[in-house]
Amino acid sequence: MYDFTTFVQSIGNFLHGQFSPGVATALEWTLVILIYLALYAILGLVLVYVERRVCAFFQLRLGPNRVGWAGTAQTVADALKLLLKEPVTVNKADKLLFNLAPFIITLAALTVISLVPFAKGLQAFDINIGLLFIVAVSSLGVVGILLAGWSSNNKYALIGAMRSGAQIVSYELSVGLSLLTMVLLTGTLQLSAIIETQANGWWIFKGHVPAVIAFFLYLTASIAEINRGPFDLPEAESELTAGFHTEYSGLKFAFFFLAEFVNMFTVAAIATTVFLGGWMPFHIGDWAGFNAVMDFLPPIFWFFLKVSAVIFLMMWFKWTFPRLRIDQLLKLEWKYLMPLNLMNLVFTAILVYLGWHG
Amino acid sequence: MEKIIFYILSAVILSLSLMSVLSRKLLRSAVYLFGVLTAIAGFYFLIGYHFLGAVQLTVYAGGIVVLIIFSILLTHEIDHQMPTPEWSRVAVAGALCVAGAVMFIQLLQGSLFSRVEVPEQSDLNTLGNTLLNPGGGGYLLPFEVVSILLLAVMIGAIVIAKQRHSVDNSSQEKQAP
Amino acid sequence: MFRAIYEYFKEILLAIRGLINGMRITGKYIAHARKEIITQEYPDNRDTLKMFDRFRGEVVLLHNENNEHRCTGCSACEVACPNGSIEIIWRAGKTPRRAKRKSRLRPSYTTCRCVRCATCVSCRAPLMRSKWGMISNTRFSIVRN
Repeated sequence: MYDFTTFVQSIGNFLHGQFSPGVATALEWTLVILIYLALYAILGLVLVYVERRVCAFFQLRLGPNRVGWAGTAQTVADALKLLLKEPVTVNKADKLLFNLAPFIITLAALTVISLVPFAKGLQAFDINIGLLFIVAVSSLGVVGILLAGWSSNNKYALIGAMRSGAQIVSYELSVGLSLLTMVLLTGTLQLSAIIETQANGWWIFKGHVPAVIAFFLYLTASIAEINRGPFDLPEAESELTAGFHTEYSGLKFAFFFLAEFVNMFTVAAIATTVFLGGWMPFHIGDWAGFNAVMDFLPPIFWFFLKVSAVIFLMMWFKWTFPRLRIDQLLKLEWKYLMPLNLMNLVFTAILVYLGWHG
Repeated sequence: MEKIIFYILSAVILSLSLMSVLSRKLLRSAVYLFGVLTAIAGFYFLIGYHFLGAVQLTVYAGGIVVLIIFSILLTHEIDHQMPTPEWSRVAVAGALCVAGAVMFIQLLQGSLFSRVEVPEQSDLNTLGNTLLNPGGGGYLLPFEVVSILLLAVMIGAIVIAKQRHSVDNSSQEKQAP
Repeated sequence: MFRAIYEYFKEILLAIRGLINGMRITGKYIAHARKEIITQEYPDNRDTLKMFDRFRGEVVLLHNENNEHRCTGCSACEVACPNGSIEIIWRAGKTPRRAKRKSRLRPSYTTCRCVRCATCVSCRAPLMRSKWGMISNTRFSIVRN
C-alpha cells in the first residue's frame, strides 16, 4: 500500500535532472549522510529520555519531569551541557588513540543503522548480504572500546575494556548463530528480502518453536554484545566508576553515550526485521476487515511500534535482573547459550529439510 | 567517482601499512593494521564482492585485530617504546625492501592483466553451492579438511592449556605429605 | 548420562521460571506506576504534604502561646549531639537570679552541621521536637539562635 521506492527514485531523478551526474551523486550522498546523522542524534536524545523515564517508573520514581513538558527537553539540555563542557585529555594518555576511539565506535554504530529498512524502499544500503554485514560491522565497535580503555591510562578503564573485549568476542558467536537459524528459515541474507518472506506471517509466529527460541537467544546475546544491563560489566558503576569511558568528558563522552543507545536501537531494529516482520502490518488469518484497517497504518509507524516494543522489553530486562559476575557471564555464554543455539540450529535444519516451515 | 575512491583507499592502505611497520609503539601498529584491513575490505565493496568484504571485516578487522589488541593489552609493558634500531640494520632492511619492491614491479610489468567484467552483485547461492558441492568443481573436501585442521588445533590448545594445570596439582599433592 | 541431560534442561527451565517471576514483579510496578510512585516533589507540594510520624527533621525549641520556652539550659541536648551542632550560650556573670536566667539563655543551633539524628529530642522534658521542613533560601537562616 505504501511504497517509498518511487518517492526516493523521484528525488534521485530530480537531482540528476538538475545537476551533472558527479554533483548529483555527491548531493545524494550528502543528503543520505545528513538524514542518518540527524536520525542518529534524534534517536540518541529520545532513547536517553525514554530510558530514564521507564527506569524511573520501574523503580516507582518519577524521573526527569522538570525541563519542558514532562521532562522531554531534559536530554536536549543535557546535550547542550555536554557540548559546552571542556574536553579533558589525560596528561599521559596516548593522544591519537584517545581521540580516535570515540570515532571508531560512532562509525560502527552509524554504519549498522544504514542497513535498517524503515519501510518499503526506505533503506540506504540494501546489500544482498545484509545480515552478514551487520554482524561484521558491529564487531568493529569493540576495537574502539579496547582503544578507549587502554589509551585512557587508567586501570579502571583498562579493566572495563578487557571485560568488554572478552564479553563481545564470546557473545558475537551467539548472535551470529541465532541469526543463522533464522537465515535457514528465510533463505536469504538481504534484509528487504527477509521482510518480503514475512508477508503472510511474521517468523516468530510461523517459525514454530525454533524461531521463538532464536528470538530470545538473539535478544540475550545481543544485549550482552552492546554492554547493556544486566550484562553491563564493562561500565559497572559500583566497581569500575564508569568503565572504559571513565576518562572521557564533554563531547567525546557524548559519542560513547550516543553510540550505546543507538546500538540498542539497532539491536531492536534487527530483531524486528528478522523476527517480527519489519514494517509489515499485523495481520490475523482471514479477517479481511481487520487486516485492511491494519494495512491503512503506515509502515514506518509499524516499524517504530515494534522497535519500541523490543526496546521496552530490553529495558524491562535491564531494570529487573541483577548484574552478572564475569565468570557467570562467560558460563552463560559457553555453557547455555552456545549449546542451545547449536541444538536449535540443527532442529531448524531438520524442520527446513522436511519442508515444514512456512 | 570510483577512481577517486580507489586512489584514496590505495593511499590509505600504503601509508597505514608503512606506519604500522615503522611505528615504535606496539598498540599503534595494531591500530594501523586495523585501518589497513578495513581499507582492503573497502576495495572488495568497491568492486562488488560484498561477501568477501564482509568476511574480511568479520575475520580480519573484527576478529584477528581484536585478538591482537587483546593480547597486547594482556602483556606487560604496553607503554614500552621500541628502541631505535641500529643504522646498519636499518640500511640492510631498507636495501632488502627496495630490492623486493623492484623485483615485484618488474614481475608485474612483465605480465599483462586482462580486463575482467565484475558482476553487479556476487550471488550468494552460487557461492554456497560451489563451496559445499561434493563433486563438479565443488570445494567440499578442502572445506572439511580445513575444519578438521581447525578442530585439531582447538583440541591441541585445550590439551596444552589443561596439562600444566593437572601437573601442578599432582606435584602439589605429592609435596603435601 | 541421560540424567545429566535431564538436569541440564531442568536447570534452564527453572532459571527461566525465576527470571519470569522477577519480570512479573517489575511488570506489576510499571503497570501501577502512576498510583504507587513514592517520590515527593517537595517544595511544590509543601502545603498538601502530610509528613510521616517517624520523620526526623530540623530541631525546634517548643514555645507556649506566650512565646516562652521551658528550657532550663541543662545542656543535655548539647551533650547528646554527636557533632556539636547545638550549643547553649550563657551570658555569664550578669544573672544571679534563677528566674532571669531563662532570658539570658541562648541555644545556638547550626542546621548545616546537624545530621537529623534527633538524639537531642530525648532530653527529659518535652522541650524539643523534630520539625518537617529543611529548606532555607539564605545562608543566614542556617544558624538559628
